[in-house]
Amino acid sequence: MHNTRPARITSPLISLSQGYVKLVPLGLLVGAIGIGMAFLFSAAASGGYRRFSFAYLTNFSFLLSISLGCLFFVIVQHLTKAAWGVTVRRIAEIFAMCTLPLAVLFLPILIPVVRGSTDLYPWNVANWARDNSPLLQVKFDYLKWYWFAARWAAYFAIWGFFAWNFLGKSLKQDETGDTKLTLKMQASSTWMMIIFAATLVFASFDLEMSLSPLWFSTMFPVYFFAGGVLGGLAAMTLTALLLQRSGRITDEITVDQYHDLAKLMFGFTFFWGYIAFSQFLLIWYANIPEETFWYRFRFWDAAWAKASWALLIFHLIIPFLGLMARTVRRNKTYLLFATIYLLCIHWYDHFWIVMPQYGSGIHGEPIDGAGGFPFSWAIDFPCAIGMVGLYVALFAWIAGDRPLVPKQDPRLGESLNHVNP
Amino acid sequence: MATVDLTSLDNTIEDGKHRAPLVLGGMDYSDVTDAVAGVWEKKQPAIWWPIFGLAVSLTMLFGALIMHLFFTGVGVWGNNNPTYWAFDIVNFVFWVGIGHAGTLISAILFLFRQHWRTSINRAAEAMTIFAVVCAATFPGIHIGRIWVFYWLFPVPTEHLAMWPNFRSPLLWDVFAVGTYATTSLLFWYMGMVPDLATFRDRSKSKIGQFVYGLLSLGWTGSARNWHRYEMAYTILAALATPLVLSVHTVVSFDFAVSQLPGWHTTIFPPYFVAGAIFSGFAMVVTLLVPVRKLYGLENLITIRHLENMNKIIMATGLMVGTAYSIELFIAAYSGVASEQFAFYNRAFGNFGWAYFIMFTCNVFIPQLFWFKWCRTTPWFMVIVSIFVNIGMWFERFVIIMALCRDFIPGSWFYYRPTWVDLMMLIGSFGLFFTLFLLFCRYLPVIAMSEVKNVIPHADHGHEGGHGHEGGHPATSH
Amino acid sequence: MAHSHSKQPKPAGPKSKTIGLLAQFDDPDSLVAACERARDAGYEKFDAYSPFPVHGIDPAMGIRRTRLPFFVLAIGLTGCLVALAMQYYTNAMDWTKIFPGYAFYISGKPLEISPANIPVTFEVIILSSAFATFFGMWIFNRLPQFANPLHRIDRFRRATNDRFFLMVNADDSKYDANRTRQQFEEWGATAIENVDMDLTDQEIPKFFKLAGIVGLFLLLVPPVMIFRAYGSTNRAPRLHVVPDMDWQDKYKAQQTSPNIGTDKEPVYLYADDRAMRAPVAGTIARGDLQEDDRYYRGYEPGTLPPPAQPVAADGSSASFVSTSGPSAQDSAPAAQDPATTGQYPGEPDWIETVPSPFVVSETAIARGKQRFEIYCSVCHGYDGNGNGLVNKRALALAATGQAQWTTAKSLHDPTVKVQPIGRIFDTISNGRNSMGPYKAQIPVEDRWAIALYVKALQETGIQPAAGAAPPAAPQQ
Repeated sequence: MHNTRPARITSPLISLSQGYVKLVPLGLLVGAIGIGMAFLFSAAASGGYRRFSFAYLTNFSFLLSISLGCLFFVIVQHLTKAAWGVTVRRIAEIFAMCTLPLAVLFLPILIPVVRGSTDLYPWNVANWARDNSPLLQVKFDYLKWYWFAARWAAYFAIWGFFAWNFLGKSLKQDETGDTKLTLKMQASSTWMMIIFAATLVFASFDLEMSLSPLWFSTMFPVYFFAGGVLGGLAAMTLTALLLQRSGRITDEITVDQYHDLAKLMFGFTFFWGYIAFSQFLLIWYANIPEETFWYRFRFWDAAWAKASWALLIFHLIIPFLGLMARTVRRNKTYLLFATIYLLCIHWYDHFWIVMPQYGSGIHGEPIDGAGGFPFSWAIDFPCAIGMVGLYVALFAWIAGDRPLVPKQDPRLGESLNHVNP
Repeated sequence: MATVDLTSLDNTIEDGKHRAPLVLGGMDYSDVTDAVAGVWEKKQPAIWWPIFGLAVSLTMLFGALIMHLFFTGVGVWGNNNPTYWAFDIVNFVFWVGIGHAGTLISAILFLFRQHWRTSINRAAEAMTIFAVVCAATFPGIHIGRIWVFYWLFPVPTEHLAMWPNFRSPLLWDVFAVGTYATTSLLFWYMGMVPDLATFRDRSKSKIGQFVYGLLSLGWTGSARNWHRYEMAYTILAALATPLVLSVHTVVSFDFAVSQLPGWHTTIFPPYFVAGAIFSGFAMVVTLLVPVRKLYGLENLITIRHLENMNKIIMATGLMVGTAYSIELFIAAYSGVASEQFAFYNRAFGNFGWAYFIMFTCNVFIPQLFWFKWCRTTPWFMVIVSIFVNIGMWFERFVIIMALCRDFIPGSWFYYRPTWVDLMMLIGSFGLFFTLFLLFCRYLPVIAMSEVKNVIPHADHGHEGGHGHEGGHPATSH
Repeated sequence: MAHSHSKQPKPAGPKSKTIGLLAQFDDPDSLVAACERARDAGYEKFDAYSPFPVHGIDPAMGIRRTRLPFFVLAIGLTGCLVALAMQYYTNAMDWTKIFPGYAFYISGKPLEISPANIPVTFEVIILSSAFATFFGMWIFNRLPQFANPLHRIDRFRRATNDRFFLMVNADDSKYDANRTRQQFEEWGATAIENVDMDLTDQEIPKFFKLAGIVGLFLLLVPPVMIFRAYGSTNRAPRLHVVPDMDWQDKYKAQQTSPNIGTDKEPVYLYADDRAMRAPVAGTIARGDLQEDDRYYRGYEPGTLPPPAQPVAADGSSASFVSTSGPSAQDSAPAAQDPATTGQYPGEPDWIETVPSPFVVSETAIARGKQRFEIYCSVCHGYDGNGNGLVNKRALALAATGQAQWTTAKSLHDPTVKVQPIGRIFDTISNGRNSMGPYKAQIPVEDRWAIALYVKALQETGIQPAAGAAPPAAPQQ
């Protein structure tokens, strides 16, 4: 039998302290170099700015989905009055808060759209619907650059407000210890969840589904969500592990919290697989040309077919088997490896969604000279490193000198004493 | 440090610092045993007999109609040329959906460490099994040549080179529903063994001792047995969770793999699962409110339990509403004329009235649960739950009536159920309630051993910081 | 042996044996504490009994984690393989021995394992794992065990209600009746009791054995009955469970038209007395439009001359689209000699090369050879010399006047060799002279393949057989 821990912070260091002074400029530097390299190399290659846009969009979707996954985690924690995750909640709150600065990173996507570029979104042409199919008038009205811009402004405003609400109240509680703040957050989490779900649905349509404007799938938002939560959990766990390695919040996040996070990652790996498989099976089985072309391209091209099988194996089967055992879930070294792996494979999932549109026309027909599997070490890799660098800088900038655990949360004690049998 | 007054009746308010108790009235272990075993030991409430009589007569009506169907043919139903599937599949999906709440409560809430599930999981699991029995009846009697029903299964035959088509969603259904019924039964029975041992040890009659002795398999409550038992319980929960998702997913595949607009949409799997949980919880609320009243179990199945269920009803109702909206949006967005027509027809076509019943009952009425009074007043929540179940029945009806107007306007036809259709639906409720009433009469309606685990025992070492938190291991997987 | 040195205050009767000492506790915490002390006191064979799983008792007793999950995993993986094998065997294999497979394409889904096989595989994994968990747990727990001395102790009935018990087995090496009892008292037991096993209870009653044997025999009855029914023939007419389905109110193909008059004076609804209606004039079945003259008929489009007038003199039949032959050749003075060009007057312009979409390839020739050997070689022979088995036999019969037979033509005959491929295709399709049409039996691409093979055969340099039949005469 073990003794009850008091509801008190015992770690010597619970903030980034001076760490952010180093991390912010370092992240910005990595970001500038990485994105700059990607830009230069794609300008030199045949794809030009179009190639760069696709690489950028892949990484932007990856980071946005992580932030949204973390925002979801925070809302659900309040919605269910959960106690176990109190000590990891702050990390999620900070990641969620990154949605607002991500709006700035969205500009390289939005500005060309406003200026009438069709590099990413083929619908962005005045006569697009008429020229391609007389049936698409509705879509044409929905997919207009000004509606697109207005929707994105609304999404970022809403997400930013939600994240600010949770982070702000939680930080305030650190100082005042006011229990009412918890109750307030619980109350607001209900309606926020509904609006969050609605915005997520349309954002996923706008961001990735409309890359192939003829294609439609009602499951797509759920697919985006499942991957995003998985990415968010992996990012949180990785951050917690790295913070503890650097000697911060060493006492508060226990093996039992990691165990639960790992179980959730396991669950969402399976959930992602379930959603991905259901979407694929329904389209494959019904075999209607309106939808099938989206998968057809991903399985027709020999290189992409391998890439699609790789997604199945590396995004579902390996993490599913890898996270199955209890000993694995409670091992910090293994988890460090597993979370990095999951983040990479989650990045790859977005690559798999976005990139085929680079090599195919709107009917899923291969474009001459752009076919094949387009991953490029010179463009995609530095772009990813750069964007992640920027993201780390954002995290450090928001975290600043603030505590990385909710110091006075009323359920802190329950969380510290949480035991996974 | 349990500063909350255990005898206080309102445990629906939490101050954020302490957890409200799950069991009221300051009950201890033997009080729990007495309360639950009392349901079985004491005389049944007077109303039990008339209800049971009604349920049995409806069951007999159901049986008679099934015989009528067998000896006359499927023509006694209202199924017609474009509407090949009608009430039979509607009722099947409806009942399977109801059957999802039990496993959700016993497995998913278990994995999420929702301790409030302990008071309701037994009854919900029983309900699951009875609902699956009702569900399995409908496709079973619809197969036409009932005497070769075993062709549904891969039975080897020497002369007949014939096997089930494993690539057909209807066969997936056979496997999914079969697996679900079996696993739910194992789960339910395994969870019940310790409580059956309690009945064995309390039984005064020889027959009772023999029957419960046989059913409880010689259970002693040994710690070594409990250890493996809990591990097995966790594994079954971990297996039942993807299973419960898969069952309604497979049911949705029946429709969604086809090419019919209104059926073929990729959101169907999660949307069906959410709808199933929604209707299942509504049914649990409908059953448990009278049960707790009749058997005096208010301290075990508290208002807080009911409130939590109502919150889940509201949440899943919103999920279902979201799915309806995504479907409508994508129908417009797709630009495919037949898709757009299917949804326009759904809302404003000849079954538009059903669509509006569905939307009102499933999306709008549960919103009443935003008000605390609505979700904490037993009689009111029963009314809402009944509306939810009506709405969910109509949801399936609306989906299946997409058949009435398919691609060729020349083959359009209205569907009208016959009296046999309607009476079979009512008869299936009779079967469901007969089984449920027998369950209340002879089996432990509340999982005693699990409730005892969430009762606060003040002197238990590690409990200090928080109110209830029994040590029931939730997830060791 | 533990039993031998246990000196008990209450000696067990001759017919019973003490198997352990039971202590009762009133709350779970005392039980956990007692378990810890029992473990520390060196006891190994002891067990705790509680109405619910007591938290923290596993480490207190030193219970090791069960191996059940690994057992379940193994069974689950086996279930996965079995499910995949079952689906492959039944739906993808055309095995014809006992329990034949049934490889059959339905709705265009592949036969071998595809996404459509995943749902069943998943359900079988879950089902087998659930069985493994359920039965594995009981087996590992050595349950059911209906005869347990503990159940004979009245006090122990509360183990499933509100009391907590600890039992130390008498065969534990540290067990000593007095010392153990003393320890129990120290640890706060509220009651202590001996657990005796009634040795007279050990034997199975005689009637159990008898009932068991009878039961086993009764179990054999159903399989025997099934086996008997399986091997016997029943002369009774079939049972019609659903008469509506067996005798349906509808007209099948080739039945007479509905009688709308009386039985005596029947008036049939349709004048031709048939229930079946002919399609509207000009109806063309799907896929039968066959507009492409080159591909479907072997000549240049628009070169089909108007049907030749039957020549009464030689009785040439006009039943084929392109009736031709020496007679036509004779009757129309030719600008060119058909024997060297293969273009006969009164016939369309036969195409000289294979038409698209037919593609000449090695596989096409192989296919042509195979089809040729099935359909053509029986008369024309494998080498095309007209010496097939049917031809030989028919000639033998014709020699004795038992049959009439026009000798099959050698394909190496110069008049045949010069024919364009289109005409050979036409001959295969519609027949010529006494050769019948093969249009109905052989699909169009196979006919092209045969024509191609015939052309290839002609290039091999095989000479017409010595004494080959003269060029086929008009029908005799």
